Amino acid sequence: MYKVSLLTRDGATIAFDAEPSDTLLDAAERASIYLPSSCREGGCGACRVSRESGDVELMAYSSVALSEDERMAGDILLCRAQPRSDLALRAPFDEAAVGFAPVPKRRATLVAIEPVGSGTLRLQLQYKDDPTFGRAAQFTAGQFIELTLPDGSSKRSYSLANAPNWDGTLELFIRLQPHGAFSDYLRDRAAIGDTLLVRGPQGQFTLDEASAAPRWFVVGGTGLAPALSMLRQMGEFADPRSCRLFFGVNKVDELFALDAIDSLKAALPQLVVTLCVWKPEKEWREFTGTPVEALAQALLTAPERPDIYVCGPPALIAAAEEAGRSAGVPHDRIFSEKFTAA
Amino acid sequence: MFCYQCEQTYRSDEGAGCAGAKGMCGKDATTADLQDILLYVCEGVGQYLHRARLLGATDIEADRFILFAFFTTLTNVNFNAAKFVEMIQQASQIRDRAKALYEDAARAAGKTPETLSGPAAFAPADTMAKLLAQASEAAVRKDAAILGEDAVGARALILYGLKGVCAYAHHARVLGEERDAIYATVEHALDMLAREERDVATLLDEALALGRANFLAMEALDAANTGAFGAPTPTSVRVTPIKGKAILVSGHDLKDLHAILEATKDKGINVYTHGEMLPAHSYPKLKAYPHLAGNYGGAWQDQQKEFAEFPGPIVMTSNCLIEPQPRYRGRIFTAGPVGWAGVRHIADENFAIVAQAAQALPGFTEDAPEHTITIGFGREAVLGVADKVIDAVKSGAIRHFFLVGGCDGAAPGRNYYTDFADEAPKDTLILTLGCGKYRFNKHDFGTIGGLPRLLDMGQCNDAYSALVVATKLAEAFGVGVNELPLSLIVSWFEQKAAAVLLTLLALGVRNVRIGPTLPAFLTPALVDVLVEKFGVQPVGDAKSDIAASLARAA
Ligand code: SF4
Ligand code: SF4
Ligand code: FES
Repeated sequence: MYKVSLLTRDGATIAFDAEPSDTLLDAAERASIYLPSSCREGGCGACRVSRESGDVELMAYSSVALSEDERMAGDILLCRAQPRSDLALRAPFDEAAVGFAPVPKRRATLVAIEPVGSGTLRLQLQYKDDPTFGRAAQFTAGQFIELTLPDGSSKRSYSLANAPNWDGTLELFIRLQPHGAFSDYLRDRAAIGDTLLVRGPQGQFTLDEASAAPRWFVVGGTGLAPALSMLRQMGEFADPRSCRLFFGVNKVDELFALDAIDSLKAALPQLVVTLCVWKPEKEWREFTGTPVEALAQALLTAPERPDIYVCGPPALIAAAEEAGRSAGVPHDRIFSEKFTAA
Repeated sequence: MFCYQCEQTYRSDEGAGCAGAKGMCGKDATTADLQDILLYVCEGVGQYLHRARLLGATDIEADRFILFAFFTTLTNVNFNAAKFVEMIQQASQIRDRAKALYEDAARAAGKTPETLSGPAAFAPADTMAKLLAQASEAAVRKDAAILGEDAVGARALILYGLKGVCAYAHHARVLGEERDAIYATVEHALDMLAREERDVATLLDEALALGRANFLAMEALDAANTGAFGAPTPTSVRVTPIKGKAILVSGHDLKDLHAILEATKDKGINVYTHGEMLPAHSYPKLKAYPHLAGNYGGAWQDQQKEFAEFPGPIVMTSNCLIEPQPRYRGRIFTAGPVGWAGVRHIADENFAIVAQAAQALPGFTEDAPEHTITIGFGREAVLGVADKVIDAVKSGAIRHFFLVGGCDGAAPGRNYYTDFADEAPKDTLILTLGCGKYRFNKHDFGTIGGLPRLLDMGQCNDAYSALVVATKLAEAFGVGVNELPLSLIVSWFEQKAAAVLLTLLALGVRNVRIGPTLPAFLTPALVDVLVEKFGVQPVGDAKSDIAASLARAA
C-alpha cells in the first residue's frame, strides 16, 4: 500500500492510499474521491497530472492523451498509472473539480428525436424521478453523459447541449456514423418512450468561472453542444462577460441549431456569432473557412486576450491551440474537449 | 490584493493580511482588488454627497447604492468579479450625478463649487484588465508610509465599521426603514476617508460617530423586522428534518425568507432555516406559515458539508457564503448582495424557480427523531418578564448576566465560547445572539425560576435588542449599564461585528471582552487606546474570565 498525495491548482491536498495493482484513479475512487477523468482508458487526457516525486508504472495509453514530451516532463495519466512508491502529484485543476460522490446512474425516457441539418439528430431525454436524485437535471454546463442502449449492448458519451434545469430535460446533438452501434439504434430502432441508462454528469470541460476574460468558443460540428450549454447558462444567469462563438461545419446544409443560436442572442445581447462553412456549395454570406481560421482573424484585432473553449475533432483542437498560442493566449487559457466521433 | 478585514485573515510572523492569489475566505485577488476600487469610487460619491448635503441637496438613490455596494464587500458575501466591474461602472455614473447635484447646489447658493481630487477625480477603466491595473490607487493600505500605521489602522476601523453600518442599514431599508442621519454619517465618513485624514484622534472620533450611526441602523432594522413580521416571541423550533421536499434558507434577510415562504405556499415544500436565519421562527408573521418547518445545521463554517447533504435547493440571502462545492453548486441560489460566479442569482425576489427546484429534488426521505430548541427572546419578550428578572436579581436567584454573542468561525480557539456558556454558574443567565450560539444552543442549560437560563435574542442583526434590554434593566435598577451585573463576551468574525463594537463603545459600554483574536488592523497603539478608554480586553480562558467577571461585579 502506497500513500498518494495530490496538490490541486488552488492549493488543497487530497490524500489516498493505493495498492500496486490499482490504477490511481481506482484507488482514489475507493476512497470516494472522484478525480477528473473521462475515457478511463488512456485516450482522452482528462486525468493527466504531473508527478513531483515517486514512481509509477504506466499501462498502455494513447499519445493524444499524453505526449512523449509530457511524459518525459513527469506527467502521468491517473487512469493508466499504478504506484510503485509513495507519490506526490500536482493537479492542473482546482479542488472544486474533484467529486466526493460517485457518478450518478439514472434512467431517462426518450421524448424526442428529429433530424437537424444533414447527418445530425437532436435527441431529447427526460430523467425519470428517482429517490436519490429527484427528477432534476443537475450538471455543470459543458459536461457530458454516457448513454447505454436499452438492451445494454453499447455505451456512448455525448455532451449536453442544454443548460441544467429542474424539469429533468437532457438535450443532445448526435452525428450519425455509418456503422456505429449507437447510430444504428438511433437510425433504425429508437422509439419515443424508450428507456436509456444515463451515467453522468461527467467531465471537466466547463467554464472557468473565476476568470474575468472574454469567452470565445470555437467548435466544429456537434462540438457545438457543450458550447451551447455554457452559453445558454450564461444567458440564463445574465452573465455580462463578453463572448463569441465560432461554429464551423463542412457544408452549408450541415449547419444546425440556428434557431437555438438566435434565441441565445436575445438572452446574451453581447454574443457575437460567426458561422463558418469550410466548403460552401451554394451561396454563403458568412465566413468561408474553418472556425479556427475565423478565430485567428478575430484574434488579430481582439482588444483583450480571451479564454478560448474549443470542442471538436483533435485536429481542430490542435489548430485552435496553435492559433491561440501565436496570438499570445497562454496555453492554460485554452480549454478543450476532444470529441471522438461516436 | 491585500485584505485584513476579518478575523480569519492570514497571520504570520511578518504580520497579518490576505495577500496571495486568494484570501482565507476564498476571495480571489481579482475580486478583492475590484472591491477596493468599488469602495474607492464610492468614497468619491461620498465626497460630493457630503458637500451637497451641507447645501441642502440629497440623492437618496445614491445613498442606497452605497449601502448595497459596501454590503457586497463584507466577508463571505460576494465573490463574483464580473458583478464588481458592473457596479464600478454604476458607481462612476452615480458619482457624476452626485457631482452635478453638488455643483448645482453650490451655484444656487451663490458659491463656486470646489474642484475635488482623490476618489472624486479617479477615472475607473472600462475593462476588468485595465481596472486591475488601477487597483494600487484604491488599496486599503496605500500611502501607509505617509499616513503612518496608526492612522491606517484607524482608517481601516472606519472603513470596516462602515461596511457593518451599511449592511444593517441595507437590511432595514429593504423593509422600508431608512434614517437620513445614517446617510449623513456615511457620507461624512466617506469624505473623511477620501481626504486622507491622518490625525488618529479625529479618526477615532469618526469611528465613534459611526458607532452611533450604527445604533440608529440597528434600531431601524429592529423596527423594520418587527414592523413587518411582529415582535419575536419565545418559540420552540424543530432542529431535525421531517420527511418531504425541502428548501434551505440561510443568511439574515427576513424579507427574502418571507418571499420564499410565499412562493412555496401550499406546494408541499418544507422550508428550513440555516445559520442566522434561525430567529425567523420566532416572528409571528413568519411562523404563521406552517411550512416553515425547522432549522437545519449549524453556523456558516459548516455549510459545505451541510449543504452537500441537504436534499433540496439552498438560498443564500446575505452573508456568510463560502465556496459552493460541486455537489450542491447547481442547487444553490444567491439573492440580494450575495454572489458567486456561476451560481444563479435571484435579483428580483422572485423565488418561483427555487420552489421548482425543490419539487425536482428528492427532499428528505424520512423523519429524523424530533428535537427542539427554544428561541425568540427579543427585547419585547425579555422585557415582558422584566419584573420576574428584576425580582430574581434582587433575591439573588440570578447573580449575573453574560451576553455571549457574535459571530462564529472556524478558528479552533472558538471553543472558548462553548466552554464559557457551559461553565457559567447555574445562578447566571446567558443571553446570546449571532451565529456564535451554534456552539452551545443545543445544550441544556436548565431554568432559573421558570426562565430558561439560555435566552436566544436572535441574529447578530438583533444586537439592538440586547442593548435595549441592558438599558431598561439599568433604568429599573437606577444604575448605569456598566454597573449592571452584566458582562459582554463578544466573538467577532466580520465587519458587522466591528460596527457593533463601535456602537458599544460609543454608548459608553465598558469592559467588553472580544475574541478569539483582536482585529489585525488595530495597531498596538490603537489597542492601547481601546483598553484604556473603554476597558476592552481580549478573551482569555473561560474559567478565569468567568471568575473575573463575577469578581468585578461582586
Ligand atoms: S475577508 Fe478575511 S479571509 Fe477574506 S481576504 Fe479579507 S481578511 Fe482574508
Ligand atoms: S453572525 Fe456574523 S459570522 Fe455569523 S452568519 Fe452573521 S454575519 Fe456571518
Ligand atoms: S481518463 Fe481518459 S486518459 Fe485517463
